[in-house]
Amino acid sequence: MMLSVKGLRANVGENEILKGLDLEVGPGEIHAIMGPNGSGKSTFSHVLSGREGYEVTAGSVTFEGQDLLALEPEERAHLGLFLAFQYPVELPGVNNTYFLKAALNSIRKSRGESELDAVSFLRLIKEKLKILHLNDSLLKRAVNAGFSGGEKKRNEIFQMALLEPKLAILDETDSGLDIDALRVVADGVNALRSPERSMIVVTHYQRLLDYIEPDRVHVLAKGRIIRSGGKELALELEEKGYGWILEQEQAA
Amino acid sequence: MNGAAPTSFDTWLSARADGEAGAGLDWLEAQRRSALHQVREQGVPGTKQEAWRYTSLKRLIEQGFARVEDEVTALQLHDIEELLIPGLDSHRVVMVNGRYTPSLSALGDLPPGVRVTGLRALLASDPDALRERLNGVAGESQPLFAALNTAGLDDGLVVLLDRGAVLERPIELIHLSVGMDEPRVAQPRHLVALADGAQASLIERYVSLGESLYCTNSVLELSLGRDAVLKHDRIQIESPNAFHITGLYLSQDAGSRYVGVNVGLGAAWARTDLVTRFRGEHAECDLQGLYLAGDRQLMDYHIDVDHAVPSCSSRETFKGILYGKGRAVFDGRVVVAKDAQKTDAAMSNKNLMLSQNAEIDTKPQLEINADDVKCSHGTTVGQIEPEKLFYLRSRGISAPLARRMLCMGFAEEIIDALQSDALREVVSEEVGRRLETAPLT
Ligand SMILES: Nc1ncnc2c1ncn2[C@@H]1O[C@H](COP(=O)(O)OP(=O)(O)O)[C@@H](O)[C@H]1O
Ligand SMILES: [Mg+2]
Repeated sequence: MMLSVKGLRANVGENEILKGLDLEVGPGEIHAIMGPNGSGKSTFSHVLSGREGYEVTAGSVTFEGQDLLALEPEERAHLGLFLAFQYPVELPGVNNTYFLKAALNSIRKSRGESELDAVSFLRLIKEKLKILHLNDSLLKRAVNAGFSGGEKKRNEIFQMALLEPKLAILDETDSGLDIDALRVVADGVNALRSPERSMIVVTHYQRLLDYIEPDRVHVLAKGRIIRSGGKELALELEEKGYGWILEQEQAA
Repeated sequence: MNGAAPTSFDTWLSARADGEAGAGLDWLEAQRRSALHQVREQGVPGTKQEAWRYTSLKRLIEQGFARVEDEVTALQLHDIEELLIPGLDSHRVVMVNGRYTPSLSALGDLPPGVRVTGLRALLASDPDALRERLNGVAGESQPLFAALNTAGLDDGLVVLLDRGAVLERPIELIHLSVGMDEPRVAQPRHLVALADGAQASLIERYVSLGESLYCTNSVLELSLGRDAVLKHDRIQIESPNAFHITGLYLSQDAGSRYVGVNVGLGAAWARTDLVTRFRGEHAECDLQGLYLAGDRQLMDYHIDVDHAVPSCSSRETFKGILYGKGRAVFDGRVVVAKDAQKTDAAMSNKNLMLSQNAEIDTKPQLEINADDVKCSHGTTVGQIEPEKLFYLRSRGISAPLARRMLCMGFAEEIIDALQSDALREVVSEEVGRRLETAPLT
């Protein structure tokens, strides 16, 4: 297994948000997590990537056999975990190129690889920019500062393309994108599909899954995965809404 | 130091072995006497005095600094090579312990109408060029450290631009302090005067060889004629044990433009007074500043902007990064006179606190006596935002590097305002180096 989540419970302050979550993701698989607003999708993404402010009270998360929860956020990134933020953070004054270089070289260094020199680095990012249909001028700007919503989301996928993670979590990367931008993002994601790279695609809508075809679809509600199935589950949800599945859950 | 701690600044004014600058000039003697009188009258101001409310002079006066007695003659160009900025093409003036040192300077060719020289030399060769100018901007009645500087006036940089003269390359003043057998005080006195329509840029750098204990008390009088333009970057990187005091007195005629960036990184104890007077309409003053205050470091800024006439604009934008037990003071005051309609003034002071033990006193004030003006002031004291830190760390960047990147991002706006890439690089590096060793608690 690449990622194995067992009985994960997590609190924010007094409130329990994740209430016994189970999930297994194998190498090369794409899993979609769908669920109503407030069901805990972002909380789950944050707990996986090590954000402060969440208290894990039970359960375990292993990533390629390692206890993920014992690691600092940067150590998780070094192992190959990547989170595309639902709300990418603006960093005024922090130059995008410098940021990308620091990130890539930090990860390379952690793996005992040499740092990329300026020329190879520039060649690499120009190549990745093209995939995301992003303009060079983005490199001169501060990270996400003053970016449009769509630019921010594309910048997330651009970073993913550059850092080449083993497991990428895309937290509602589709929300707020028009259909053209959605296609560009999906193309970017699909270009990165490989037998070694897994993805968790968190989304509120079925729309994105027309472009990124998942191996498994999970429904997250009230802090637990209440239903899993193939891609047809997404279509069923689209048609019937979440109410239907929640009712079934309650009846059970 | 023997016996009781000193209680006055008398030692600052002891005699020089090589004689007083401009000896025998009556008008200068009179200025010195008047200044000495003011020093005696003021004594040692306590924290009850508004200008010294947040800063005690105890630590300074206890050092019993003695006046620099002799010229440092042994230094050669290769001794100071590491202090030069690669890629900075300037008219270079080097001063060592308050004395102009021609052998280390490289003035190069100056265009017609531009005079760059040492104050002491000019007092000997052409004192009339200085008679109306010395203390012309600072005025007759001076605050303590300006008065001390006048009373002990010895040498400094003089830059005079005739009407319409334009300097392409910047004038770079490197003020170098070299440790002596006992703690010394140097009091450089600089004079920069741009006649109507003249344009120049000035870089002042305060640096040291070694980490010795000394004091620099500098005064710069700066006057801009009609439509004159001056770009002025001042970078203070004194020894970590040094005391640094500076007063900038600026006078601006109609239509003139001053753009200044004040960077304070070094010294254990630093006090900066920036005093601006508008004397004609439609003049602009843009004052930016960046300071770092770490363990046992004090950075004290006092800014005094006098909108005495209508239709001038001023910006005061200061940012500070405090860490360890660092302390900083920002006391900014903008006064808009009754008739100074259409004044446009904005003052801001933002502080990034990296530790709980750091301390900031920030007090921007506006005193507005006119009714048709656009004035604002704001101040913030904040910490590194956890979500920004997490964003960087989630990309594999270590927490210490991520913190440094965010601090540099905070400082970027001011560093960006420096006049050349070469300067920006030097300041970025120096700020980065300090943050690398900054304690984060
Ligand atoms: N930092 C926080 N403080 C308080 N409550 C939070 C915080 N983060 C999330 N929550 C709560 O946790 C629940 C799940 O939120 P979230 O994980 O963002 O849901 P989703 O991403 O599925 O919309 C919501 O009820 C939300 O209000
Ligand atoms: Mg969410």
